[in-house]
Amino acid sequence: MSDATSFEQQQRASARVLLVPLCLFMAALLGFPTLINLWYSFSDVSFQNLVGSFVGLDNYVAALSNPKMWQALGFSLKFAVLCTVIEVAAALVLVFILHPLLVKRPWMTAILMLPMMVSPALMGVMYRLILNEFTGPIPVYLEMMGYGVNFLGRGNIYKTIVAIEVLQWTPFAFLILLTARQTISYELEEAAAVDGATGFRSSFHILLPLMIPALVIVLFVRFIDSFRVFDHIYVLTGGGPGNLTTSISIYIYKLFFVQHTLGEAVAVSILLLLMSLALIASAMRLVVRRS
Amino acid sequence: MIVTRRSRLDGVVHAGRWIVFVAVAILVNFPVLSTILTSFKTNADINAYPPKWIFEPTLEHYRAVLASPNIDYGHYILNSVIIATTGTLFAILLTLPAAYAMARHKIGTGWLLPVITNLRALPLIIFAIPFYFMYKQVGLLDTRLGLALISCIINIPVALVLFVGFVQDVPRELDDAARIDGASMWKTLWHVVLPLSRPVMLAVFLLSFIYSWNEFLFGLILTTKSAVPVTVGATFFVTSRGIEWGPTSAAITLGILPPLILGLFAYPYIGKSMLAGAVKG
Repeated sequence: MSDATSFEQQQRASARVLLVPLCLFMAALLGFPTLINLWYSFSDVSFQNLVGSFVGLDNYVAALSNPKMWQALGFSLKFAVLCTVIEVAAALVLVFILHPLLVKRPWMTAILMLPMMVSPALMGVMYRLILNEFTGPIPVYLEMMGYGVNFLGRGNIYKTIVAIEVLQWTPFAFLILLTARQTISYELEEAAAVDGATGFRSSFHILLPLMIPALVIVLFVRFIDSFRVFDHIYVLTGGGPGNLTTSISIYIYKLFFVQHTLGEAVAVSILLLLMSLALIASAMRLVVRRS
Repeated sequence: MIVTRRSRLDGVVHAGRWIVFVAVAILVNFPVLSTILTSFKTNADINAYPPKWIFEPTLEHYRAVLASPNIDYGHYILNSVIIATTGTLFAILLTLPAAYAMARHKIGTGWLLPVITNLRALPLIIFAIPFYFMYKQVGLLDTRLGLALISCIINIPVALVLFVGFVQDVPRELDDAARIDGASMWKTLWHVVLPLSRPVMLAVFLLSFIYSWNEFLFGLILTTKSAVPVTVGATFFVTSRGIEWGPTSAAITLGILPPLILGLFAYPYIGKSMLAGAVKG
């Protein structure tokens, strides 16, 4: 064995040590809680009895047979699909309209990025103020124009929370797609122009295929993020009226912190974990196959 | 003839782009704009009909918020600053060495890196219940350290992705030379890699600080009084005695200003961290 390879092996061995703190931290703060969750989901745990005893699948049966769980799951799926489609479509159109303006003026991009720097919870509170039926500026102006709209009332609340999510996170989709658009080389655009491909439609046809990887990422990230929505809905409606706006995250929160049905809450958490892992795994397989 | 028609069309298209930009900028920023303006209005101006856009500014609501006898908002702001800063530092300390090992020696790139980068896709509520009981057992409920650990977990994926990308760009000859001279791995990290990492460190710090500052769910679940962050504290102004418009707007303004200002510098890195993570994950 040559000196060079033994030096390399020695280096690799000591490099392993650099991973130890991170691995220990993740094991303690994510691995351990997951194990607790697993045990709790098979036990009759309660606030009085934190260890609990084994009860088999009772919690899962309770979780799966509760129609409110399916309602919350349905809400989250529908909300996520709706928001993701609107955000990505709007962002894509805006990238093609605004790219020529923004390419020399980064401060303008910064202005459009401000909403996603705001805490979603505080965004919810702000909308609660400006959409207030009596004093909020938007209902007041609509009133002056002759439209009385109660944005936070039962009939409109679903559209309102979708609109808030879309207005806050379209900038994110826009940023990722703009970053992808700006990495498409200038030569390619020139070549396309020389070939006679001028105008909005032609540039769409040539540039869009090159942006597909970024599009896949944005769709995935936005879907996941909207699916687990909690903050702005909790602040605006607390999941109500009734269960109308209860997302799966709010549902788990309510099971645990409001109704104190621990076992069922933990069982839903585990089911949500399994669903998320399946989604991530299939998304990763898609990415690997593409590359 | 054709030239002038062409340039006139270009002018119209250009103006159209500007109109779209201004409309979108106002639409998405309207709540922030409206809240900041309201926070500087007197109560009379807040209740004016139609809403006033030009008025004489006042600081009375800021004084009221920071001197409120029921809600110690200054303390909440301090909590958020400490939680976000400590959480960010923890995340950097844990991920920079690991990123070095991954990028240089290809250790852990097979499964550890993809697993950690994909953690950011998990719904955090899954961990809410075990964290509540764990923290209750060890006395971390309602402590800044408890929330700093959470913000560290949230930011590890982003920090790791950015650091791995950075180490890959450092010329290998630099640290090879140091190590053949007998420097240990930690010393190489400290004397060679760390001084070069200033730009990426800034990116990690900005993103991590913003994400930590804006965290709400765990602040809501794990704090009651002494470690309450601003995102949770600001909601107290709404729920306690109806809505007090001026003080609530002032509290929100104080709660959104730090990430808004940092965001002006941080936004390009968000695009980069997303695309980099996807390419390597």
